Amino acid sequence: MRPFRRRGDDVVARLEPAETRVVALLLDQLEQLLTADADDVAGDPVVARLLPAGHRSDPELAADYRGMTESALRSGKTDDLATVRASLPSDGGTVRLDPDQAAAWLRTSNDLRLALGTRLDIAEDTEPPEDLSTEEGQQLAVYYWLTGLQGSLVDALVAGRAGRR
Amino acid sequence: MAPQRRRDPVHTAFYGGSVAGPLAPTRTPEETVEEHGDLDRPWVTIVWNDPVNLMTYVTLVLRELFGYDEPTATSLMLQVHHEGRAIVSSGPRERMEHDTSRLHAYGLWASFQQDS
Repeated sequence: MRPFRRRGDDVVARLEPAETRVVALLLDQLEQLLTADADDVAGDPVVARLLPAGHRSDPELAADYRGMTESALRSGKTDDLATVRASLPSDGGTVRLDPDQAAAWLRTSNDLRLALGTRLDIAEDTEPPEDLSTEEGQQLAVYYWLTGLQGSLVDALVAGRAGRR
Repeated sequence: MAPQRRRDPVHTAFYGGSVAGPLAPTRTPEETVEEHGDLDRPWVTIVWNDPVNLMTYVTLVLRELFGYDEPTATSLMLQVHHEGRAIVSSGPRERMEHDTSRLHAYGLWASFQQDS
């Protein structure tokens, strides 16, 4: 990976073939979760994290909020996901994003990190894996790779804001 | 940093993974502000601490969504990080619900409630 950097109004990164395949696979899995029948994912901690309660102590207010917002929240996330998928090279290569595409990548890369981080029970003091021979070690490596990718995108977008002043 | 190619590293990450389970206690704080339904008290939108969201990301989202300048957004982000939560907006309930939904669209761990 060559992390995201600013190029004019765009941001540009370069991904390895294996990296684009992993991202494509994660997008498929995220899409399955976001489009699953509500009964099939009831109680799933990842879905609960991606579509959280709006009110913490009043079930009625929380239900009202969910009724008003969840459908739009879901479709916003799946629209972002489609934008990321369409701008992802199929077998490695340059990713060049205009501001709207970059915003979609920002939100979707965060959703992927939230999903993986919830599955892996990430804490603030979780360290990158030393042992990549285990499944959990590999998943943790993917999580930290996504963290690096999203971190570079955030930095590139912040640099762009500073440049607009 | 590149993922391993030998095996599909994430195939089971989301579905049927062995690590699925209850969220860590740090992500489901019980703490809420007590409410009495007093009409005079404003409603607030709160962002809660989260082990995944990057500090730089939270700061950027607060600037984008609420128009805070960089020092204000950074200060609120640090309050979330160190104290576990920060009030990021206040006003009528409907607007706080809207602010909460905008934060949820960015994956921030947010909720609305009547202020204490």
